[in-house]
Amino acid sequence: MKVGIPRALLHYYYYPFFKTLFDELNIETIVSNPTTKEIMNKGIEHSVAEICVPMKVFSGHVAELVDEVDYIFIPRMISISKYEYFCPKFMGLPDMIRYTIPGVKEKIVSPKIDVADENIAKAKYYGEFKKKLGVKEKELQKALKIAYGKWNDFRNYSKEGHTLVEALDGFDQNHYEVSNTKNDEIITIGLLGYVYNIYDEYVSMNIIEKLKDLKIRVVTFEMLDEHALTKSLTDLKKVPFWTFSNKLLGAGYCFYEDENIDGIVHITAFGCGPDSMIGKILELDSDQYKKPFMTIRVDEHSGENHLQTRIEAFADMIKRKKINLGGGTVNENNISLYGNTACI
Amino acid sequence: MKITFPYMGTPLVYKKLVEMLGHEPITPNKPTQRIIEQGVKNSPEFACFPMKVIMGSYIDALERGAEVILSSGGNGPCRAGFYGQMHEKILNSLGYNPKFIILDSIHRDFKGFIKNFKMITQNVSLCQLYSIFKFLHKMSSDLDQLEMQLQTKRAYEINRVECNKVWEKIQSIFDKTYIKKDLIKAKEKCQILIDDINIRKIPENEKIRIGIVGEIYAVMESSINMKMEELLGSFGCEVRRAHYLSHWIEDNVVPKIFSKSKDGEICKKGQKYIEVAIGGHAQQTIGHIVDYKEQGFDGIVHLMPFACLPELVSQSIIPKMSNEIGIPVLTIALDEQMGVANNTTRIEAFIDIIRNSKEKKYRAS
Repeated sequence: MKVGIPRALLHYYYYPFFKTLFDELNIETIVSNPTTKEIMNKGIEHSVAEICVPMKVFSGHVAELVDEVDYIFIPRMISISKYEYFCPKFMGLPDMIRYTIPGVKEKIVSPKIDVADENIAKAKYYGEFKKKLGVKEKELQKALKIAYGKWNDFRNYSKEGHTLVEALDGFDQNHYEVSNTKNDEIITIGLLGYVYNIYDEYVSMNIIEKLKDLKIRVVTFEMLDEHALTKSLTDLKKVPFWTFSNKLLGAGYCFYEDENIDGIVHITAFGCGPDSMIGKILELDSDQYKKPFMTIRVDEHSGENHLQTRIEAFADMIKRKKINLGGGTVNENNISLYGNTACI
Repeated sequence: MKITFPYMGTPLVYKKLVEMLGHEPITPNKPTQRIIEQGVKNSPEFACFPMKVIMGSYIDALERGAEVILSSGGNGPCRAGFYGQMHEKILNSLGYNPKFIILDSIHRDFKGFIKNFKMITQNVSLCQLYSIFKFLHKMSSDLDQLEMQLQTKRAYEINRVECNKVWEKIQSIFDKTYIKKDLIKAKEKCQILIDDINIRKIPENEKIRIGIVGEIYAVMESSINMKMEELLGSFGCEVRRAHYLSHWIEDNVVPKIFSKSKDGEICKKGQKYIEVAIGGHAQQTIGHIVDYKEQGFDGIVHLMPFACLPELVSQSIIPKMSNEIGIPVLTIALDEQMGVANNTTRIEAFIDIIRNSKEKKYRAS
């Protein structure tokens, strides 16, 4: 029996949990390959035109896997904290996939995750495992416990300031390296964006590496402490009700208030609903905090030049601003276009 | 207080509510191209279309002197529940400072709800409030009953746009009623108006019935759905909508034990295709399609605002599902593009297909 795990959406956040869970239950898993043009095209073919890119990517990965495996794992994420939900598209994801991709109907295994306290390792939500995969209650509970422990290790490592790529590497090798990177970065950017946009190298065009090449330190929301994220939202009149969007919004405010962060880049996918709201809120507030804020919208196109140009321009602007803070009267015209700024 | 509110369908009932609570209503204008453009300009690009339109009508009403904006909230996961906060933030950044009263779900924020509720009902006693509510509930269901008759008759009217004229007249008659006695008289008067409309006689097998389903704002507000009901009427189709104001009141305001709401039943019909409520009206959309099929409707027009999150899920499911249960569905996504020729052609072709297949079936039998 083989279970397919699509490498898309929350895969990047929960992979250690689900991988360990299946391993402990002695079920063979196949993770789809990283997104390629072919997978993207398959996704476009099987989904409605207007839907957001991550959903198309997900459809593509399912279509890629469906013939190779006996079951496809698509958890129905409803809620992981009180009064908060996932985006409606996540909640209807298994239904949507069932009716759009041929041959997948009988293969879907979708535990319904609807908890109030972030602890997704409760056996009662995994009833489908017992029904469809023939897992026994005791085994399931034991496996869930181990999986949750592994996932916590992974999250803790990430919170130490490592990107998910590094953390996932650590999980795969079963050894989290204690990093001692030298800090030769000049500026720090808060990178806002969902894990499935930023860490999908095809969708984000590997923006983290591009930023690092420009000697920019990158901070993302999953490196911050969860309490700090929720705390920074307490000033809002009404908090939005999407879990991961709230994490981003909270991270946004943390970045605004953190002196070490020089600017914020918001990566959003074409047609993302929650982002249209929180992006606008952050944009309106950037004036108040006097911090540069840039939105980059990604979609299924794969031309990289526009991205390179925009982040370079953004980084240059911040570098100049930092130099100007040296003292004296600030005047844009006084700075040579060629001199010291160019050789940093 | 000078209170304004969103424009959705006929504003009569909301206007009456504000008036009877002792405030001055600033009735929003029916969204025009100018209002919509204002809204689009000042909203996030990927915000859903209803939010943009409502934004435009708020700006319009604020320019005409409104001080307070009254609207309903929500607790997600659909974006509509967050409109109020978004509108407030953007309007503030534009230099308007209206007071927002957003009635959120009583379960989420009990204190806030009571506080807001008291603010708008400070001029009336609880007893009066009950009678106002009862009166408006009756009024909205009367209006909906009359509108449904027009939706049927419009397909067969001999003088074009007569039904529209009658509907305008009905609204102005109801506008003048304030007590129950007048309401009964007004209804009788309107019934006569409707009965006087001349109609063609069409044999039963040639009648076409279309159900309009989808997101509530797109379905109920004719200025953003390119007058879908009138268009279908002009092609000789009887029309029913999935959303009427009186149904919304039954679903959301009337306490559950007294409510005649069919919402639960409809959702149950949708559960086969969308297992859990995913926000907005996605499950109801699917449920209504199944329900209309069972009622013997001939086709469905599915309206959704561009990038509406829950309706995208239902849109994905619809093609296979309509095949499965055997009813044609046409999905139309709406945005600020106001050209009607494209949609007129699509609807015309859709109706032609339905008419032909119906005729074929009839001949075969």
